Amino acid sequence: MNLDAAKQTFLEEARELLEDMERILLDVEATDTTDEQLNALFRAMHTIKGSAGLFGMDEIVHFTHEAENVVDLLRSGHLALSEDLSGLLLRCHDHVKAMLAVVDDKATQQEMLQTSLLDELRHYAQPAAVDEPAGSSQASAPEQGGLRDWVMSLRFNEDVLRNGMDPSAFFRYLRLLGEFLVVQPVLCRLPQAERFDPESCYLRFELLFSSDASQQMLLDVFEFVREDSQIHIFPVGEAAAHWPQLIADADEAEQAAVRQAWLALGLDPDATAEPEPAPPAKAADKASDKASEKADKPATGAAEAKPPRASESRFIKVEAAKLDSLINLIGELVIAGAAANLMARRSAQSALVESTIAIANLIEQIRAGTLSMRMVQIGEIFSRFPRVVRDVSKELGKSIQLNVSGADTELDKSMVDKLGDPLMHIVRNAMDHGIESSEARLAAGKPAEGNVWLNAYHESGSVVIEVADDGAGLRKDKILAKAVANGLVPADSVLPDGDIYKLIFEPGFSTAEQVTNISGRGVGMDVVRRSIEQLRGTIDIDSAVGEGTTFRIRLPLTLAIIDGFLVSVGNATFVIPLETVIECIELPPDALQGDAHNCLNLRGEVLPLLGLNRFLELGQPHAKRQNVVVVRYGDSKAGLVVDELLGEFQTVIKPLGNLFRHLRAISGSTILGSGEVALILDVPSLIHFATSQEAERFASHAEHAQQRGGHGNH
Amino acid sequence: MGALTIRRGREAALVEEVHEDVLQYLTFQLSGETYAIGILSIKEILEYTTLTQVPLMPAFIRGVMNLRGAVVPVIDLAVRFGRHETGVSRRTCVVIIEVANEEMQQYIGILVDAVHEVLAIRAADIEPPPQFGSRIRVDFISGMARVDNRFVVLLDVEKVLSVEEMATLSAMNGGEVADLREAEV
Repeated sequence: MNLDAAKQTFLEEARELLEDMERILLDVEATDTTDEQLNALFRAMHTIKGSAGLFGMDEIVHFTHEAENVVDLLRSGHLALSEDLSGLLLRCHDHVKAMLAVVDDKATQQEMLQTSLLDELRHYAQPAAVDEPAGSSQASAPEQGGLRDWVMSLRFNEDVLRNGMDPSAFFRYLRLLGEFLVVQPVLCRLPQAERFDPESCYLRFELLFSSDASQQMLLDVFEFVREDSQIHIFPVGEAAAHWPQLIADADEAEQAAVRQAWLALGLDPDATAEPEPAPPAKAADKASDKASEKADKPATGAAEAKPPRASESRFIKVEAAKLDSLINLIGELVIAGAAANLMARRSAQSALVESTIAIANLIEQIRAGTLSMRMVQIGEIFSRFPRVVRDVSKELGKSIQLNVSGADTELDKSMVDKLGDPLMHIVRNAMDHGIESSEARLAAGKPAEGNVWLNAYHESGSVVIEVADDGAGLRKDKILAKAVANGLVPADSVLPDGDIYKLIFEPGFSTAEQVTNISGRGVGMDVVRRSIEQLRGTIDIDSAVGEGTTFRIRLPLTLAIIDGFLVSVGNATFVIPLETVIECIELPPDALQGDAHNCLNLRGEVLPLLGLNRFLELGQPHAKRQNVVVVRYGDSKAGLVVDELLGEFQTVIKPLGNLFRHLRAISGSTILGSGEVALILDVPSLIHFATSQEAERFASHAEHAQQRGGHGNH
Repeated sequence: MGALTIRRGREAALVEEVHEDVLQYLTFQLSGETYAIGILSIKEILEYTTLTQVPLMPAFIRGVMNLRGAVVPVIDLAVRFGRHETGVSRRTCVVIIEVANEEMQQYIGILVDAVHEVLAIRAADIEPPPQFGSRIRVDFISGMARVDNRFVVLLDVEKVLSVEEMATLSAMNGGEVADLREAEV
């Protein structure tokens, strides 16, 4: 097996476990803890410890061991999860994360082990240990729940294999109930090779097993072999008392071998048979501790990694690159399928057309399925905000409540990855600049506790993500003054509200007088805008003074494939994203009179028209009959005047590349079935452009100094 | 399509065999003059096919074409050099060139009137570009090669096909949309 790959898996798994851990810790701050949550906490630390051991990351093992001890006490009910403790555990979580980040750097890890966290952890672990001398209570209260160490002596009958029982199956099942600390096989019954019968079982095992199951439950595991095999299970403390029972049937060689095995387990078969459990138990404990450190590597590494998998095998982890190449291939398949369909239709053979249609249907399903594989819930990013809000609000001394909704909204995985940082910026800004201090809030007649909302939903083929706060709102005058001072806009400029708000996305802009730790250095908001635009998205701001601010990010659903509507203008073919198309109508003959802009009466509604031919300066001759594609974006509606409607077409978006990055009216290109390249219209930009061009036309007599290209029509 | 694909591996090996300071150049015709480009940056040569025009772009960007599933922009070098648009004839070709653009490799096609031949030119036969009088921008020229007593202009591909510069140009004079958007945001 490739060790690097395994390590990668480990890191990935550890990351997930840590995420779980964080989520639980944040959850339990709000509500009471459940056993399940505590078990999950324990499992997180424990699994990381075990797997880290496999890779020889002793520092991580050491640290997580201490954390695990504390969590174990929580789990057994000896400690309550106070706010301090969950804070400490959160910091431990961070620390483990940091250690994992420098996994290849031993020296740094060594250094990181010198942390005061360990002392704090021990401080929690200590008093509990005094309350309860290790081992003794375990032995004296055998039926009490919680983790206990058991000694098992399994002497399988020779016939178990013939009876259809496989001893290894028991081990597999036991793993679900607990953890193997040490396993000592006793092999003295194995005969010489010539007398060896492969259908007979000669095995005997002596082992230490840690589990929270009761003795009866463990015995029940062996229900089917108990009759003819010798199965003994008892707590570590009572081991010596049962010794004679174990060796009753054994010959001398076997007795010696079993004794040897027991010594290896750290048990003393010759201890006095009276229930005086303390010394052997201690020995056993020590041994099991030592053993578990040793055994953790082979045993838990293998054992722990799998049981959780078994219950969560609903998910398969796939390398992102593999999925990407699959999606690329599907894209090619879509194009090839469209080409075949076109050919079939030209050939006018109905059987051929029918079969290509069947193939097209299948391709469509495959496409949908593959794309959905890439879709992930946005909750994946939202989930890290509770922690951020908690930390930042503590740091700022403000009381802020985070409200998350729409976390199940899905969008493309590659976008989710790139959205995290911009969202983080916005949320931090909202908390730092948006929400006022409690005093200021009370003075303004608002509840002392501020609110930040994270919301996501689908709207006409895009995903909208909103970050809202009920803080002070953006001060237009302040922003404008600052922008003028920075020379971003001329002093006498009059801007619509939305444009003023957008000034905060300019590089080097920050209205906060005080630069804090969290935000206000003026780096960030321009980066936010750039990252959103890279995802072909837009960002808008709504704000009301005293009531709050809403950042609205609008993103396309996916970056790879869209459903398009094919139209032609002269010789050129364009693709309009289908989700923006509402309907198509024929253009009344006299509706468009020489001007690029005009309006149409659409069932009593005013529909502004945009002649693509003129607008895009294609210089193509007009067709006799023209059509109008009614498109929508957000709240605006418009009619695009085109020559011919060619119908729906599945489109793989091919980026046009850097050369065309300034071209906003075209969002990309695609390859048609004929092999020709068609351009995909960016409807929002088109409408936006048309709006601004119109505004400019009517205001052309007024001087607009801020507009460089002040000649809208040639 | 796919008239003549130059196998770079073999060519490169050939170069090594011949001599250390001999490099190979592809010569081609462009509005009556002969230019040459180092063969190592050339990916392939294709017959002209109909291009898809991209609206609101300057004239030197003739359009985009489908290169086996990838969309490749095609530049009219004549317009880029300030001449008239290249007409389409039987011998018109698109030379696909690999350009390093920041950290990415990008393919760009150039439209030429005709492709001539591959020349092996010794480094000693290459003169530095003249300071003026060359009829195209001096920084587009990487050198003047003496071939049979005449000079062939060796183009500096990185400069001629600088994505950065061309994008800026198209933002300035080509796309009004871009211009407006830039001004307003």
